[in-house]
Amino acid sequence: MNIEFNEDQIDALKEFMNVSIGAATANLAELLDAFATMHIPEIDICNSHELMSRVKSTIDSDSMYYVTKQLFTGKFGGECMFIMSHNSAENLGKHLYNIRTPSEDDISDAVIELTNILSSTIISKLTQELDAQVQFFAPSSQFVDADSIINSDDLNHYSKIIIISTILEFEDQKINGSVYILTKDEAIESLKMLINKKIEEIYG
Amino acid sequence: MILLKCPDVLLDSLENGHMVIDDKFIVSYWNRWLAINTQITKEEIVGKSLEEFYPDLNYKVLHRKIRTALTLSTPTFYDANSSTKFISINRNKVTTSSLSLMQQQVTISPYLPHENKVMVSIYDISELYETKLSLRKEISKVNKLNDILEADQEIIDKNIMMMKTSLNADIIDISTFFCEFLGYKKEELIGKNVSIFKSGDLPDTTYKELWDTIKSKKAWSGEIKNKTASGGTKWVQSRVTPILDENGEIIEFSAVYYDITNAKLLAELYITDPLTKLYNRAHFDDTINSITKHQRKADINFVLAITDIDHFKSINDTYGHQVGDDALIAIANTLKNSLRENDLIARWGGEEFVIMLKNVSLDEAKMIIEKVRASVEETKINNSISVTASFGLTKYIIGEDTHKTFKRVDDALYEAKKSGRNRVVVK
Amino acid sequence: MKILIVDDSKLARTVVINSLREIEPGAELFQASNGAEAVDIFKSERPRVVFLDLTMPVMDGYEALKQIMALDKNAQVIVISADIQSEAKLRVLQAGARNMYPKPISKEKMLQIFQQDLLI
Repeated sequence: MNIEFNEDQIDALKEFMNVSIGAATANLAELLDAFATMHIPEIDICNSHELMSRVKSTIDSDSMYYVTKQLFTGKFGGECMFIMSHNSAENLGKHLYNIRTPSEDDISDAVIELTNILSSTIISKLTQELDAQVQFFAPSSQFVDADSIINSDDLNHYSKIIIISTILEFEDQKINGSVYILTKDEAIESLKMLINKKIEEIYG
Repeated sequence: MILLKCPDVLLDSLENGHMVIDDKFIVSYWNRWLAINTQITKEEIVGKSLEEFYPDLNYKVLHRKIRTALTLSTPTFYDANSSTKFISINRNKVTTSSLSLMQQQVTISPYLPHENKVMVSIYDISELYETKLSLRKEISKVNKLNDILEADQEIIDKNIMMMKTSLNADIIDISTFFCEFLGYKKEELIGKNVSIFKSGDLPDTTYKELWDTIKSKKAWSGEIKNKTASGGTKWVQSRVTPILDENGEIIEFSAVYYDITNAKLLAELYITDPLTKLYNRAHFDDTINSITKHQRKADINFVLAITDIDHFKSINDTYGHQVGDDALIAIANTLKNSLRENDLIARWGGEEFVIMLKNVSLDEAKMIIEKVRASVEETKINNSISVTASFGLTKYIIGEDTHKTFKRVDDALYEAKKSGRNRVVVK
Repeated sequence: MKILIVDDSKLARTVVINSLREIEPGAELFQASNGAEAVDIFKSERPRVVFLDLTMPVMDGYEALKQIMALDKNAQVIVISADIQSEAKLRVLQAGARNMYPKPISKEKMLQIFQQDLLI
């Protein structure tokens, strides 16, 4: 299986992701009545056991995190993971529900709602760009410490994964989180095929 | 595309709750599962707002979820782990239930977007949730036990001398305390053979006995003298146990040690003559008394020899006491080196030494002692001074009182002295 | 006519170029992959039209827009971005852009831009 991506493929994937994140950000901005600063997405192809270190390098290891994972399946399948620190999530809960002290249930519900919008917009936009169809599964949310975001025992060490990540940032509301789109093995191949088709269309 | 003729039949047959509501929460469909589980019939609720039946729901959140589903044309969800219920449904499970209300997974899917209608689907995930809860409880129990175990292991590691070896006596694991005791680092020892600790001071029979015992799947206890990293020695009381697999085959050995170095040093001091490092008279007495008391065949066949350095007084007078001491040490070493390892040699007093030659005839003993006498004659004290010694020799007669033996050997020595010194007399 | 296309993605630039080739086949096209390069090319070439992305490394589109407008207050900048927040549009229009369109830009949209937004 050849999962190497060349420069054009990476560039294309980045651009599709950029457009998808843009759509998701706009939806969230409307929901929260706030303005988000957009960040350039990053693409990383590595072994699945490296995922933990990639994720940990972007977060503060002393914080507790809300981690929401949502599966999607179809021609392009994978997992959308959203990581938000407790502080951010609390601000999100306050802002979304307009309450001063949201309960943990309020907070996790707010995170779920945000992830839901985020991942469904990103994924449906991304798959729309790639001319594919997907189905979503119910997201599940956990409140964990930095070390438990990804349980290394759960990872298949021999899988190649592609990590598409970006930061969601509402500066004024002090709400930010990391979005990860994770795809492995065969799904990477079909993703590559979809990208190649688009590249051919555009570059001629 | 086949249009379903009886969608009601389909939805009613599902084991999930399905309702259709609009963004004003007006119910336009209510399936059988919902009717049964909520005790609210289709006829009662259809056309009315959900708010009339469930006033406690957070309708702000529900409204937003409905809007999201409609505008993004994508399903939205409630957090399945949340303790906030969508609509509360009692559970009737009597045994082992930690949940009195149904745990639900709720999905809101766009149904008729132009009429702002969504389908709300409710799945009963109580069993799953219960399993998750009990699993979490079990895991926290296991974690707690693990913590205790880890703490215990650390205490053992830091305070008990332990070692595990393979069948070939290669070190598999060794406690930090034992490493420190021997002056090594753990990583220096893992994989090494235990022979690295051999001091060389113990008879091979000790090791053979140890190996024979543990190879026969029995535990061995005994005292072992180990060599430390810096070249010193330490005594340990050891207990080595073979570890067997389920078929009774030895897979490895485990050993626990206890430091007896100080006790050993004290004991040695107690039986050693401080100047010559030979045994002292007390130890010789103890040994010979014990042998003659038990009269064991293996022990009682011995010859007793006493030797006295000739004209020792004049050495002291001529060269001083220091040289006298040097002479005693030199002769002691000569005796030790020219006799067998299992012969017992002790300083008897002043310039007198006593020897027990084991398992020899009187003739053999005389030959051995003649050689010893010659060696003494050849010994140069401080590279210049020569001395001679006289020897008395007698065989212990089985059953006799040792006083008699000593009397005879003393007489023999006296005779040797009288008849010109530097000779061996047998009685 | 000189046209400058600014985007960190080659694919995104190509999408714009593809429709430009049909609508303005005679145009001389310049490309930049970040705001700083764009400002440099703008200084030396003075293009009639700039198609500008917002999210870019080194210098983002907001800053590039500010500097280009400072160099020439009549510069014709069209922002094409994945950022479709209404506030983003408000910000770039206030900064002097002629208009802003969401990515990816279609040929029809490009035609509309030339007809409605630009003075050629």
